[in-house]
Amino acid sequence: MKTISAHNLTGPSRKSQGTLRRILKNPTLLGGIIMLAILVLLAILIPVISPYDPSAQDLRAFLQPPSAEHWLGTDQLGRDLFTRLIYAARTDLTIMVLAEIIPFCTGVFLGMLAGYYGKWIDNIISLVTDTFVAFPFYLIVIIVAFASGAGQRGIFITFMLVGWIVFARVTRGVTVSLRQQEWVASAQTLGLSGIRIMFRHILPNVLPQAVVVLMTDMVGLLVAIVTLGYLGIGIAPPTPDWGTMISDGQSFITTAWWLSAMPGLAVVYTGIALSLVGDGLADLWRRR
Amino acid sequence: MMNEGQVLNASGPKKRGSSYRWLFITAARSFIVIVCVMIAVFFLIRIVPGDPAKMILGEYATPEALESMHHALGLDLSLGEQFLRFLSNLFTQGDTGNSIVSGNSTRVLIAERAPVTLLLIAMSSVLAIVIALLLATLASTNKNKWPDHLIRIFPTVTMGMPVFWVGLLLILLFGVRLRWFPVGGAGEGWGMAYSLILPSITVAFSQMPTLVRSLRAQMLDVLESDFIVTLKAAQIPSRVILFKHVLRNAALPTLMLFGVNLSYLIGGTLVVEQVFGIKGIGSLLFSSISNRDFPVIQGIALYCAVAVVIISLLVEIVSWWLDPRTKGKS
Amino acid sequence: MSKKYAFSRKLWVTGICTLLILVLVAGCSGGQSSSGSNENAGQNTNQAGQTEGNTGANPDQAATGGTFVYGRPAAVNSFDLHNQITANNAFAIDKVFESLLSFNSDGEIVDWLAESHSVSEDGLTYTFVLRDGVKFSNGTDVTAEDAVFSLERHLEVGGPLAIAAKVDSVKAQDAKTLVITLQEAYTPFLSELSNFSNGIIPKDFGGVSEEEFFKQPVGTGPFVVESWDPTGDVTFTKNPYYWQEGKPYIDKLVYKLIEDDSQAINQLKAGEVDAIESLALQNANEIKEGADTAVAENGSWVTEQIFFNTLDEHFADVHVRRALAQAIDREGLTNALTFGYAQTATSLLPTAIPYNSNDTVKALEFNVEAAKQELAQSAYPNGFSTKLLIASGNSSRAQAAQIIQAAGKEIGINIEIESIELAAFRERFFAYDFSMMINSGQADSPEANSIIAFQTDPDGFSKSYWTHYTNDEVTKLLREGQKTQDGEERAATYAQLLQILADEVPYIPLYYPEILKGVRSSVDGLIVLPNGSLRFEEVRIGQ
Repeated sequence: MKTISAHNLTGPSRKSQGTLRRILKNPTLLGGIIMLAILVLLAILIPVISPYDPSAQDLRAFLQPPSAEHWLGTDQLGRDLFTRLIYAARTDLTIMVLAEIIPFCTGVFLGMLAGYYGKWIDNIISLVTDTFVAFPFYLIVIIVAFASGAGQRGIFITFMLVGWIVFARVTRGVTVSLRQQEWVASAQTLGLSGIRIMFRHILPNVLPQAVVVLMTDMVGLLVAIVTLGYLGIGIAPPTPDWGTMISDGQSFITTAWWLSAMPGLAVVYTGIALSLVGDGLADLWRRR
Repeated sequence: MMNEGQVLNASGPKKRGSSYRWLFITAARSFIVIVCVMIAVFFLIRIVPGDPAKMILGEYATPEALESMHHALGLDLSLGEQFLRFLSNLFTQGDTGNSIVSGNSTRVLIAERAPVTLLLIAMSSVLAIVIALLLATLASTNKNKWPDHLIRIFPTVTMGMPVFWVGLLLILLFGVRLRWFPVGGAGEGWGMAYSLILPSITVAFSQMPTLVRSLRAQMLDVLESDFIVTLKAAQIPSRVILFKHVLRNAALPTLMLFGVNLSYLIGGTLVVEQVFGIKGIGSLLFSSISNRDFPVIQGIALYCAVAVVIISLLVEIVSWWLDPRTKGKS
Repeated sequence: MSKKYAFSRKLWVTGICTLLILVLVAGCSGGQSSSGSNENAGQNTNQAGQTEGNTGANPDQAATGGTFVYGRPAAVNSFDLHNQITANNAFAIDKVFESLLSFNSDGEIVDWLAESHSVSEDGLTYTFVLRDGVKFSNGTDVTAEDAVFSLERHLEVGGPLAIAAKVDSVKAQDAKTLVITLQEAYTPFLSELSNFSNGIIPKDFGGVSEEEFFKQPVGTGPFVVESWDPTGDVTFTKNPYYWQEGKPYIDKLVYKLIEDDSQAINQLKAGEVDAIESLALQNANEIKEGADTAVAENGSWVTEQIFFNTLDEHFADVHVRRALAQAIDREGLTNALTFGYAQTATSLLPTAIPYNSNDTVKALEFNVEAAKQELAQSAYPNGFSTKLLIASGNSSRAQAAQIIQAAGKEIGINIEIESIELAAFRERFFAYDFSMMINSGQADSPEANSIIAFQTDPDGFSKSYWTHYTNDEVTKLLREGQKTQDGEERAATYAQLLQILADEVPYIPLYYPEILKGVRSSVDGLIVLPNGSLRFEEVRIGQ
């Protein structure tokens, strides 16, 4: 995620009529978007596709192997695994996106602030960042999860606390290098306010790289949500979620391996899609 | 997000006029960071509902037993008093007190658990670096040929693999089915290194994607630079170019990244230790949080903060040493 | 153009990688996957004490000696028998200290350090005669004075397993005879004495300080602590002075800490441990069918239950509780969650406890229509919303909660599952801050009173297991049961009490899980006790 160094990116061109054509010409990006689109479409259409309710139990037909009736078999409570797998995509993707919004905005803003004004603002922000970095990551995660009870709330709070750091660092770096350019100085002599320069002129140049980082960060977030589920402090039942499904299925790994393998593969699939989009965007913007 | 952190403000000594001044600022900064961490941890872990006495005595404990346990642990004091006690202990003894659960000194507990975790980190780091170097070299010298494509796919696929999931698969295949490696735990001496092979591979798996990507991109940048093109034109053997010039120049940003990964790993081996049943710092952290063993949690946080500060310092020194610009000047 | 090729290649490779992972996953499992745990569910109930009957090695010539490694989920952090209650310590303490009485794998009380015991007609005087030749692990003889010291310390300390009988005096009549007198009759006293917390320690801690003693404990048990890490492993060696001649057969016993359950199972499969303490019900068949592994099982003293807070606005209404009890398919729940390693519960008491009245108590049956009618009689005929509290990290309970949630939905009770971490969970229910929860009741000794007192006594500190359930008739029967001598009259008392509980359902007993231990097939002679502990005295390790 820190592979794209700042000077390679100068931001998207303002002329947007060529955007679609450029996307079509960028196979990596296109592939990623298609993969994501398939998943999102499935997640939206699942009530139509599947005749099953994700929480409808059948205690007399549990742990069935895959069949024409149940494409991926049934879980321990006799629920259709395929249906749950796709409903879990709804849960996990929604949380993933929502949990990234606030850290992304605060991170970008603080990073610009630190990079543009420097001095004590920069010092304070980087002291806070350093403190978080020196903090054992799981200590924060587990404590927040324990304090807020298992579930989505814990995930949101955790990421509000730690998620912004990555964005702040990236944006700060880009902002510092932009600030040294002449046009910033001339804008200042023209009497434009710092906030105006930041939002009107620096932000558009910072965003592309931040968005590329966002894509990889989302993969990490997804993996983290799933890992919390594995540790037993993730999303609470009965909401379907890939992490809980993996850990529930772990007990049956030798007898019904698909129970935990399929949700695992779903995570990997989503990871690939997001990475491709990230790579594609980086390609796109690098070539102007 | 797993590689959240980044090296402490990596401006490095090169910028500063006086290296003494730099040293002083860095030391002061590190100290403040450590103190901030300790204060944050102290209050954070007390916000969480849960009572250490109930965790020790269990659900059937009588109120009297709980009360005497609270008194013995000093938990009947006010938060302020507890904090003062904690601070004085920290500065006079350099310790965070004795474990609530076992009564042992936190320092001893950590010293017992640290070797296996440090060995795990060391082994996985060596593994990750060696493999990343190999793959990145292979990819960048064969740009847009099949080895490059294969290697570029690698991080894309592995990025989304949860560590515990990889560990689980490795255990099933190499531990339970093939029996090449122990499925878990850690032996003594050489046995320790042997039993840490699977966990190291698992950790390396999570480290490699970013390393391979970064190193490949950097090497391509360098390979395509005018400097290298000139060297090539001068008929200098490509092996010499690769090792003497390309790698050295490309290593710098990756080193930073590696430092980030390392800082994360110091307190982040928890999941791997849990999956492989390794009694290291990570599993100690997990059980201490579950038991609300406050002194041990604080001790681990202290240990992690110090380690991270040292790592970032080392990274800065090494990158200063590697940086060709500083070399040119001296 | 080349880009296009690059992309299709990229896709190809991605596809291949994904396939490879799939194959890897499939390869890992493969093999016995066809057998399917589904078919096995319900087949193997009630094989109590199975390993005892383990054939294989001939007991007379099987190799003795060797080290037995036992994987356990929690470390031993104290050997102070009077201050401990949790399994992690209890099952280590009972290897080092032994009581006057004990119980066998069927939960029957047997004389242990006492050769014989007698109870006076009025139930006030208990006389114990000590066995000859019992020595502590330091070689000194055990006398009645030691027993007096031990029991008096326990009375003084109290502790989590305090002696509930009103003890008047504990006296050594002579070196071998101990006499205990009570202020009032208390029938459960004998079973109480069989508990590990009434183990015998040397008088005055054998001359060392209390602290030192429990660091290097000296008892009569089959094993002696050799080394001990309070956050890690314990190594025991055999007690050379053990009173059961020739036993234990093994030389060393190691308690190896393995916190993660699936890790423990993997170590058992790979032969890195000889047995594991924690084997979840859903993993039992996998271990049973394994070529080198087996399951040792026994009936337990545990009842898995749904608890209602009777102070809660909804669950204070008996009709609401009855409605929910009838809405839940307990048999289906048991089948889906326990794979044949549990019995569906009828009464509060598990089958391994005397006077359980399981055959006679009539529990509310699963009947959705009846449940709806019952709810119609309550103050909430149109249903309501409530929360079900569970501790996270327990897969079985998370599944059970979802079944209960679905059952509630059928009759218009909207249940939200609140899954919180164990320490926080305890805080919550200790403070009555819950509407309903899933938890288990466990007996400390083979005695009906053990569970019933904890779950029905509104004056006890547990306040009827934090349900705050109060019923004067029940309290009266509880007191009667404690005083009545063993026999039919006592049985009738408990049958009546348990029927009231089944009708008023302050808690819904769901099932009695069996005690399951994963064992290597090479192990012979392991005895599983109904409290979950193991006896290693007769263990032999084969090839």
